[in-house]
Order: sequence, then C-alpha cells, then structure tokens
Amino acid sequence: MRNPLIKRIPKELLSEWHKYIVIILFMILMIGLVSGMYVGHDSMLASIEKGKEKLNLEDGSFELNKKASEELIAGIESGEMADVRQYYIDEGMKEADKEVEKAAREELQIQVEDNIKQMVRAQCEDYGITDEQIIENKTQEAMGENLESALKEAKESDEYKKTIEEAKGEAHKEVEKKVDEKWDEIAAEYGLNDEGFESVSIKVYDDFYRNENEDFDNDGTTDATIRIFSDDVEIDKAEIIEGKAPETDNEIAIDRMHADNVGVKVGDTITVGVKQFEVVGLLSYVNYLTLHESNTDLMFDAFGFDVAMMTPEGFDSLSSRVHYNYAYLYDEKPADKEAESDYAENFLKSLVTQTLVNDNKIEGFLPEYIRQASNFAPSDIEGDTTGTGILCYILIAVIAFIFAITIGNTIEKEATVIGTLRASGYTKGELVFHYMSMPFIVTLIGAVLGNILGYTLFEDVAVNLYYESYSLPACGIVWSPVALVKTTVIPLILMFFINLFVIINKLKLSPLKFLRRDLKRTKHSKAKRIPSWSFLARFRLRNVFQNLPNYFLLIFGVIFIELMLSFAFGVPDSLTNYKEKAPSMIFADYQYMLMGSEDDDGNEIVTSEESAERFSTASLMYPKDEHQTFREGFGSGEDESVTVYGIIPDSRYVDIGKGLSQDEVYISSAFASKFDIKEGNTITLHEEYENKKYHFAVKGVVEYDGGVAVFMPNEEFNRVFDKKEGDFSGYFSENKINDIDDKYIAIVITVDDITKVTRQLEHSMGSMFEVFKYVLVVLAAALIYLLTKIIIEKNENAISMVKILGFKNGEIASLYIVPTAIIVVLVSILSFVVGFFLMIYIFKIFMMSMDGWFEFCMKPVSMMLSIVYLLVGYAVVSVIDYIRIRRIPMSDALKNVE
Amino acid sequence: MENFLEIKELKKSFGNGETKQDVLRGMDFTVKKGEFCVLLGPSGSGKSTLLNIIGGIDTPDSGYVSINGDKLEDMSEKQLTQYRRKHLGYVFQMYNLIPNLNVKENIEVGAYLSDNPLDVEEVITTLGLQDHKYKYPNQLSGGQQQRVSIGRAVVKNPDILMCDEPTGALDYKTSKEILSLIEDCNRKYNSTIIMVTHNEAIKYMADHVIKLRDGVVRHNDINDKKIPASELDW
Repeated sequence: MRNPLIKRIPKELLSEWHKYIVIILFMILMIGLVSGMYVGHDSMLASIEKGKEKLNLEDGSFELNKKASEELIAGIESGEMADVRQYYIDEGMKEADKEVEKAAREELQIQVEDNIKQMVRAQCEDYGITDEQIIENKTQEAMGENLESALKEAKESDEYKKTIEEAKGEAHKEVEKKVDEKWDEIAAEYGLNDEGFESVSIKVYDDFYRNENEDFDNDGTTDATIRIFSDDVEIDKAEIIEGKAPETDNEIAIDRMHADNVGVKVGDTITVGVKQFEVVGLLSYVNYLTLHESNTDLMFDAFGFDVAMMTPEGFDSLSSRVHYNYAYLYDEKPADKEAESDYAENFLKSLVTQTLVNDNKIEGFLPEYIRQASNFAPSDIEGDTTGTGILCYILIAVIAFIFAITIGNTIEKEATVIGTLRASGYTKGELVFHYMSMPFIVTLIGAVLGNILGYTLFEDVAVNLYYESYSLPACGIVWSPVALVKTTVIPLILMFFINLFVIINKLKLSPLKFLRRDLKRTKHSKAKRIPSWSFLARFRLRNVFQNLPNYFLLIFGVIFIELMLSFAFGVPDSLTNYKEKAPSMIFADYQYMLMGSEDDDGNEIVTSEESAERFSTASLMYPKDEHQTFREGFGSGEDESVTVYGIIPDSRYVDIGKGLSQDEVYISSAFASKFDIKEGNTITLHEEYENKKYHFAVKGVVEYDGGVAVFMPNEEFNRVFDKKEGDFSGYFSENKINDIDDKYIAIVITVDDITKVTRQLEHSMGSMFEVFKYVLVVLAAALIYLLTKIIIEKNENAISMVKILGFKNGEIASLYIVPTAIIVVLVSILSFVVGFFLMIYIFKIFMMSMDGWFEFCMKPVSMMLSIVYLLVGYAVVSVIDYIRIRRIPMSDALKNVE
Repeated sequence: MENFLEIKELKKSFGNGETKQDVLRGMDFTVKKGEFCVLLGPSGSGKSTLLNIIGGIDTPDSGYVSINGDKLEDMSEKQLTQYRRKHLGYVFQMYNLIPNLNVKENIEVGAYLSDNPLDVEEVITTLGLQDHKYKYPNQLSGGQQQRVSIGRAVVKNPDILMCDEPTGALDYKTSKEILSLIEDCNRKYNSTIIMVTHNEAIKYMADHVIKLRDGVVRHNDINDKKIPASELDW
C-alpha cells in the first residue's frame, strides 16, 4: 500500500496555495530565465557556428595596395616564402643590364659617328676640299644616310656582342656581391632565416570593399561610414534577415543592427556617397557580428559604422577607392589556438615576401581568431550565462532554506502527530520522505514549467537581448542538454540536500520527545535577559530572537539582491562616469598613430602643428596571474595587453618627471588599480608572441584611467625596443594635424573614440538594467513575503491569543511587523554596503578577465535608490502582512489544539 | 447584587441543511457582579461556544449577551476589542502562553492592556512564580504555565475572568492549587468568574452553578454552601 501520508501533499498545496504560488512562480521565473539564457546562448552560438560554415567565414584577411596579379595570388596560395634573394638579384640584374646596354649604346654611337666623320673628312681631303663648312655638311649628309645602317652593323658584330656580354657579366657579379653584402639585413627584415617557418597553403578569395559616406536620413550630412561589399563574393557572406538581397544597381542591403539603431527600414532610401539607394534587405555579415570598423577600436559602433551589400554593377558605380581586401582559408585547418597563431605568423612571412617580389604592398593583415568583429559577440554571450547560472543557484538555495524553515515549523506544529506516527511504527525514513516530497515536487513543477518557458518565451527574450546588441544571424532553437542539467538537476539537488539536512536534523528526536512536544535540545538553558525597555520594545526584541534563522536568511537574500541592485544601478552610473571622464582618458585631443616614422622617400614625417608632440608606443603583455607560467598565457589572450609609451622630455601631455634611470617607468593609474601595483614594485612584461621579458621598476603613477599603460622616456624606449635613435610612432596634438598625408596615418584617436564605448553599451544594455531593477524589487518582495509569512504563521496562535486578550490589530502589527521592518531597513542599509563592496570586488575580477580598465562607481542618489527600491518592495509586503494578521481568527487560540 | 451579565434567548447553530447542528438552543441566565459562576456540562453541551459568545469572539444567531447593560450585538469590531481589553481576562485549558516571552513578560502582556493593572511583581509573588519569572513557557510544568496564564488574566484587574477548563490538563493536586488561586482572585479583586468545566466537583466552590446540556440550561442554581477549593475532592 502506498504511504497514505502522500495524500496530504495536494491538500497542503491547495490550502497554502498563495505561498506555493509565490514559490513556484519564483522558481519558474528563475529557472525559466536561466533556461532561456542557456537555450538562447546555445542556440545563438550554434547559429553563429552554423553561419561560419554556411557563409564561409574566412580564416583571415589581408589588404593590398593594388589588385594582386595572378602570380602574386598563386604565390600567396602556395604559402611558401618567395625567393627574396633571387628577387633582389633579378631586380639588380635587370637594372644593371639596362645600365650596361645604355652605356654600350651611347659608346657605340660615339664610335660610329667618329668613324663616319673621319671617313667623310678623308674623302674630302682626297678631293681637295678644305672648307670646313662643306666638310660638316657632307658629314651630316653621310650621317643621315649611313648612321642607322652602320649602328646596326656594329651592333650585330661579334665583337660588340662579346663586349656587351662581358660587361653584363661583370655587372651581374657586382649585383650578386651587393645583395650578399646586404643579405643579413634583408633576411632579418623579412624573417627569412627563421628555421621554424613552415609553409601554410591557403585559398585566396577576393573580398573587395569600398568605404563610403552614409547619409541615412538624406539630409545632406554624413551620418556614418558604410563599408560596401559586392554580392558576388564567395567568402564572408551575409545572411539576409529581412527583405531580400539587392538585385539591381540601385538597391542595397545594410546591416540589421545598424538599421535598427538609426531607424532605417526595408523600403527606405539612403544616400551612399553621392547616389541614392533603396534599402531592400537587412543582413548580417558573418565576419561583422559586431560592427567594429577597425580591429583596434575599443568598442564596436553600430551607429557610426555600417556594412552593406550591393550588386557588382552597383558596387562599380561607386566612386570611392576600392580596398583590395583578400580573405583566405587554410587548406588544412589548424588544430588549436596555438597552432592557429603559428599558422598566422608563418602565413604573414609568406605574404610579406610574396607581395614584395610581386611588386605590391600590404595595407593590412588580420587573422580571424583575433578579429574583434567576429569574436567579440560569441565570447560575450559565453560570459552571460555563467553569471545568470550563479544568480539562479543562489536564489534556489534561498528558496530551499525557506522551505527548510517552513518544514521545521510544521514539524514543530505537528510534533505530537509525528510522535504518534513514530510510536505507531512509521520509520524516520518514511517521515523524512514525506516532508521532503513537498519541496521536491514544487521544485520539479518549477523546473518543468520554467524549462517550458525557457524554451519558448525566455529564449526569445535572451535572443532578442543579443539581437539588440549584435548583428547576429537568424537563430533557430537548439536542444540544450546543459540547460536541462543546470536548470533542473542542480536545483533539485540543491533543494534535496538542504532540506534533507534540516529535516533529518529535526526528526532526530525520540518519539516520546515528539509526543511531549519537547523539541528543544537546549531546554534548560537560561532565557535571554534583555534590557528593561518598554514592554512592547521587549516583546518586539523577543520576536526578533525567535525568528533569527529567518532574519539570517533575509540578510543573506537581501545582501544578494542589494548586490544585484548595485549592479543594476552601478553599471549605468559607471558608464556615465566613464563618459564624463572620457576627456581625461586621452592624453591629447588628438592622438595620431603613424604607419611609420618615415615617408616613402625616407624622410621623417613632420608637422608644423605647434602643439604636436612625438611619442612612441609598443604593446607588451602583463601576466594576469603571477603564478601562471608564461607559456599558459602565450598568445592566448589570457594576459593583459599593456601599451608602453615613450615620452619626450618635458612632455606637455604626460608628466613622468625627470631623472628616470634605466628600466625605471611610470604606470597609468588604471594599471595600478587593476593589479594593485605600487610605487617601488617591479613589473615584468613580455612580448606577445616571443619569449622575451622586460623588467621595469615602477617609479610613479600617472593619473590616467584610459588604459593599462607604462610610460618611459622616448630615448629609453628606443633603447629597450632596439629602435633607431629618434624613432617615434606618432603625435599627440591639441589640434587636428592637417599636414600629414592620410596614407601615413594608421589611426587617430579622439575623445569620440573613447565615448563610443559607452554610447554602444548604453544602447545595448540600458533598457535591460531598468527591467532588471524592477525584477529585483519583485524578487526582494517575494523573498521577504515568504519569510514574514513564516514568522506570522509561527505566531498565529500567539496573535490569536493576544487578539482575544484585547490587543488591537495595529498593536499586533507593531509587535510582529515592526521588528521585521526595522530589520529590513537595517539589513537593506548594511546589505547595500556589503553588496556595493562585493560588487566592486566582483567587477574587479570581471575586469581581470578582460583587457583594459573600467572603474565601477555609483552615484549617491543611486545608492539611496537601491535601498529605497527594496524598501518599497517591503512596504507592499508589510501591507499584505497586516492584512494577514487581521485575518487570523481568534478561534485559533480557543481551539486548544495540542 | 445587581445583574452584571445577562444572557437572553441565545441561539447558535453550525452548518446548513442536513448537517445543521444547533449548539445553543435558547439560553437564558444572568450572573451578578463578583459572582463565581460555573458552567457545567458534558462535551458538546455548548459551553465553549457560549464562552466564545460572552467573550465577543463569536456571535449568536439570535438572542443577546449584555454586560453591565451594554449589548454585545450593538458593538462594532473595535468596541468589542475594547470590551475584551478593558473587561475580560481569559484562562484556557492549554494556557496559550506566548512561547517566546518569559513568565514576567507573559504577565505583562495582560498588564499592558489595562488602565489600572495590578503590580506585576506582586501578582508573580501571589502566584508563587518568583523563581521562574525569567523562564520561557516551555521550561515550566503544566501547573506553572497555568499559573502564568492566570497571572496574565488577573493582572488586568478584569471585571470578568473567563476560565475555559482551566484544570483540564492538570493533575489533581495542581488543579486544586489553580482553583484556589482563581478563588483568591475572586475574593481579593472581586472579579466576576465564569468558569467552564465538566468537573462536577468544582461546582461546590461556586456561588452560581449553571448546568448545560444539548444547548439549553438544565439547572440554574445558587450555591449557598460554598466550600473552599482546597477542600474539594474528586
């Protein structure tokens, strides 16, 4: 026969429906949310992965100065390093041959002309002609008639040919000698003597584009930069999310995210360059999941940058220059990240030599694995789920404890029944099973319904959240076994063990003790003495003592919610703060990074701008974990990227004082904050791809939160990095520099580049934070509701009793609600402080996993609000509590139920 | 002595239709001020229902209860609370002490409600609880708990002390001690006592004995030969 006690479960569910509704809703919401996040996450990543294959994502790309010849493409595809020596020799010989032939030709001409002159003079003398004028005329005549044929004859003579060959032979020897003399220099420049080089064969695809000005509202002002690709490319293709691909030369399909941000819809007309195009489709390019215009951009910019597709005819009709961008696929895929990094390194060597010998020039090179535009979104999506999962488990643990407290109270209430059942022969196990079934069933219901919601509603929410931030491909739901485990199995396990522990502990007593309701193990301990306050104050304090476990749980829950509120209020505040501080996050209003310090003619690039000041820069890595070996962080992006600046003496932009000795540096305040580095410490930096380390003593901190940076005098910089004396990387300037050719400028950083980080983040997450705040308030209210319900239930008899004695509802409320209210207020303030500092700590850990530094801060008004929000939630609960107290019938105490 | 409590044609039933059960079927009696009145009857005779109605906790279907001339049916919820607060003291069979308050504080629960409470310490001494005043209810014996319960009721100095089977859960000796205490309160503070019991022996200590059966008053006797609680035997 089945255990008849099980029949109590549905009755209990029905009679206490409001409590269980709150718990189940709470669970459904939490589990649904996490399940949705996981399913959304898995589906999104799956569709990104699918897109990579379907849309043929590159393994890397490079841009050339001009269209590559067939030979060059063939050379690049071979992956071999070109024969640079032969190229130099060939080039030298070609030049030498030209020189030899030119010299021989000139010499021959002189000799033939001399011969003709002498012959004419001899003939004239034979005829007795002495007039110089006549001789000259005769000479010119003879030249006209015979020079060509004489030259031809002379050139064809064996003697001439022999002389030429001999001269060329000499010249060739000289060329080879010169090349040999300079070979070490050349080889070092192109890494030609690298023994570790292995050829990487690839397939190259055209992926040409043009950058045009986009005017999406056709008001005559440029709103964004639009990068246009032709629709006939075979690589890095796009998925059309809405509408269709362009079919005529006045149609265009643009990025969906950008279109959403700026309010362009299918059917609208936008101006690209000087021509108007109809937007016929919204798309997502597989290599532009986030709209990073340049890989060095701090943040993508879906407002100011756009990618688009046109027909080849449309593409050709544009006037801006074509960027000869080529994408490639490895013939054999690299096995892992490290291999991918080796591949890229080897390929680059091949590319450099091949373009050299084929008379072309590299404008850019970017292996796919470090391409921000295709890697930023997936790695961000990855990070989200971890956070949500932890959030869910903490809340489920809180619910499990709420259950445990409730069941503990029920066991106390039902002590005599339990005693009777135990005395009648029911085993402890049967009773444990009985009391365990409710939390288990409720969790199961929550998990099942939560997962259903997760796979339907919340999956959409999660996916939409990602769609609002990134230019993602269309997404289909995939079955996520991880989600099922994390949202069903783990909550059940949590619920099971927490309750098992509490219930077994409670049911440990003997049947007799239960029958006598003698459940306190510390029966004879003295009652707590409390100060001689007013009677009501003491009564309230007693209530606090009575419900300490509830209040501890409340403290835990509220700290957690305050932590989340700190997050919800703090992150937007931090963004605002970042925006406000942005001008101080850049050394100068303009920071010009040059392609090199010399122009094409080998002259130093200079400017007449008075405020311009030279600086040098290099990128090194700082190990995030001191104990981590160097190899672990090797090229994997695990380590912090540090920008090393070389600063001129008495710089007007960065003050590093004077008198820095060798290997002494200043570091940025962001660097100091992030890694707790102080003056006097020694830091060890290393090259990203080479096993070369640098040790520096920190002499001071430069107030600069814009990045993790190291500063040293420019001379020292050139010495440390083996640069030529006087070498530099760019200019800081207060004003725009107009006299440096664009082609020498690699990038210009302005305040706008700093603030576009926040503009994009605010757009991507702004609305989410608002919703999150209200969800937290509801969550807090639900948690407090459940805990105060337990407190009131526990005291129902006492409340009923004091009602009979004549206590008014207001007085009773003051006894049972005021203590909780005081606790909630105190706990809110305390929890806010704890939550705030915890958030700073968590934020720091979070920042550790990323490059750069972003300070967490919260405005005083947000601090107040994060407490007020929670108290508003509690106020609603206390009204419900008051109603609940009013409804407790006086007959409860009169029943005299044991 | 004047009539202090008047019960007139009091009727009360529970349930509907076939399950309808008449608990009080027209009950009439009066109690004088300062009287020790015992409501005697077997289980199901309606005595607890009657006590609840007198206490303003339950309402009759018809008839009325009047205290000092004021009918309870005319009183609002607030007035009823005031009525209990100012005039009534309650002693229950199962004591109903507040578990998280100590002895002294449980007695103060009563004192707090009264405009002219007795001295709490004095009541504790009278009840013989000096050595236990900082203990919690679960650290006391049943008799001690019932003393606290009486203390909580009498400290208010109530006009009426309602006792619902106050010795129902106690042994013989302790029961007699408790009854003596209630008797003392009646004498010392001139409280009107209404005590519900099924113990026939207790009627001998009362001024007024009302026997109930099946929801009506079967006997309404004045006892001229009261004997002290200490001399009771059962």
